[in-house]
Amino acid sequence: MENKPHRDTIFSEQAQILSHQACAGEQYILRVAAPKCAANALPGSFAHIKVAPALLLRRPISIMRTSATEGWVEFLYKAVGEGTRLLATRQPGEMLDMLGPIGTAFKFESGRSRPLLIGGGVGMPPMIFAAQQLRGNDLFKPLAILGSEVPFPFRPRPSRILIPAMPDGVIACMPLLDDWGIPCRLASQQGYAGCYQGFVTDLARDWLNTLDREQLNQVEIFACGPHPMLAAVAMLAAELDLPCQVSLEEYMACGVGGCAGCVVPVKTGATSQAMKRVCVDGPVFDARQVFF
Amino acid sequence: MSATTTDSPLAIDFCGLHFANPLVLLSGCVGFGEEYTRVEGFSNRDAGAICLKGTTLEPRLGNQPHRVYETPDGMLNSIGLQNPGVGIVVDEILPTLDFSETRFIANVSGSTVEEYEQVTRRFDNSPIDAIEINISCPNVKQGGVAFGNDPQMSARVVEACRRATNKPLITKLSPNQTDIAANAKHCIEAGSDAFSVINTLMGMAIDIESRRPIIGNNQGGLSGPAIKPVALLKVHQVYQVCKAHGIPIIGQGGVNSAEDALEFIIAGATAVGVGTALFYDPLICHKINSGIAAYLGKHKLQSIMQLTGSLRLNEPPKAHCGC
Ligand SMILES: Cc1cc2nc3c(=O)[nH]c(=O)nc-3n(C[C@H](O)[C@H](O)[C@H](O)COP(=O)(O)O)c2cc1C
Ligand code: FES
Repeated sequence: MENKPHRDTIFSEQAQILSHQACAGEQYILRVAAPKCAANALPGSFAHIKVAPALLLRRPISIMRTSATEGWVEFLYKAVGEGTRLLATRQPGEMLDMLGPIGTAFKFESGRSRPLLIGGGVGMPPMIFAAQQLRGNDLFKPLAILGSEVPFPFRPRPSRILIPAMPDGVIACMPLLDDWGIPCRLASQQGYAGCYQGFVTDLARDWLNTLDREQLNQVEIFACGPHPMLAAVAMLAAELDLPCQVSLEEYMACGVGGCAGCVVPVKTGATSQAMKRVCVDGPVFDARQVFF
Repeated sequence: MSATTTDSPLAIDFCGLHFANPLVLLSGCVGFGEEYTRVEGFSNRDAGAICLKGTTLEPRLGNQPHRVYETPDGMLNSIGLQNPGVGIVVDEILPTLDFSETRFIANVSGSTVEEYEQVTRRFDNSPIDAIEINISCPNVKQGGVAFGNDPQMSARVVEACRRATNKPLITKLSPNQTDIAANAKHCIEAGSDAFSVINTLMGMAIDIESRRPIIGNNQGGLSGPAIKPVALLKVHQVYQVCKAHGIPIIGQGGVNSAEDALEFIIAGATAVGVGTALFYDPLICHKINSGIAAYLGKHKLQSIMQLTGSLRLNEPPKAHCGC
């Protein structure tokens, strides 16, 4: 006898690979058929994937977007370790054993109308998922800033959406977000055409500096990316007194909260700390709790 | 209702407790019995018993990250016994568990003999079915394996816990010691009713770029299929001491399939632990249980208990040694 599915159910699916596209910089876009995960995932969720028989443990991969109606889930990942390198060899038509969706989601509940989505490198997927969720919602005026030091896993193009107070020449966007009507700009140190030359946090700061206090009071930051980037985002948010949610990564074993293998130290009071599990207590945390 | 009934071929008697099947979900791998129930298709009823996370007198934060890392055919962990303390476990967690689903076993740890005794006493006054004493945790500075590797100390811990409870007492033995059978003998004399064999082996992994150990605590416990041959031999050795006393063993270390479970039982285990395998296959109990049932059918055995310790050793070689 099984437990009845409920809101927090983690589904176990044999997910067929629908497409698996290699992009520059060893980045891959993977789409799988996983209707239960697709119907329940939220921005911030990940799937825990058995990437290949040769590896014992599953690998957590964050979800980039979903189609509940078509029953698919899409991931963007970079082949950085043994697990992701093996995942990259898997072909369309093959099955992936997948647990998901897992993890707490970004919450757009503070009443602030200007979500600033900051994604760096393989931290882009949850921000793209957040954009998918905010798309067409009149209550929000989001801005996405995406950064990469290897070529972007999509072909940047000049944006059709004008963003007041962007530095001159910063016009490149992610086409998908632009088509969704989500204003978006790109940053890189590599001097890519139309991109801001510098860190995502520098572009974010330039833009935030053009806002008055009343406008700033409408901003909330959402971020995912490498640890140093998140630390910089958290500092920027603290400086300008903006609420900020970050999505973290850590090595995982079970991925369902059973082993306490994936914890991060979290500030729970002026002097108190707790160890929270990235897999089920996160991956999304209040930046002030994890960067202190 | 449980999937297996009392007279099911898979059911076992473990220190007077009825287990619906011989599988035990291992301490540290299934939190406090609630976490995995979120996984579609998983049920606590699929296991004969569930060992809760290692519990100490006071709450513990545990070790700094990274705490887990995959190694060839296994993994290292160094959690450092993160737990909310026995008070919270008994007062707030145990009342949420459904004791009709399976048997729940507490896993007790401490830095001193007194702490082991106090935690055991607290569990004695609770609905928990049995108590496992972890004197083999490789991830804490005091207590743990430091006690488990010293047969005199092991016996003192068991004696103290024995004073504190009449519930079945299971001693979890470390493979990181010279003579595990001799240690088991001391523990039986001190009042141990059963054994868990084995806990993790100590190991390390190194990042060659930073030249630092990957595990935050530098070293960790190795588990998973990589340790199975070591675990099987230890179960065989401890069984030689246990069989005369009718003392049961929970064999564990790298169990991944029905065949693995059967190997442990043939070597001398009454029950079989599943830990690391749950991380990659949370629904593995179904598969192992049905594989065992098929084996019993094929070999015309009425009960899995007939198989315990049925190992037939080869004749010792007469001529030269094989080195
Ligand atoms: C992440 C993790 C945490 C563990 N925590 C405990 C613990 O708190 N107490 C304990 O007695 N054993 C603990 N163990 C050891 C297991 O219970 C088990 O004895 C060991 O992992 C061997 O079995 P396996 O290869 O099936 O995992 C832990 C093991 C792992 C992998
Ligand atoms: S990976 Fe096991 S608790 Fe998060």
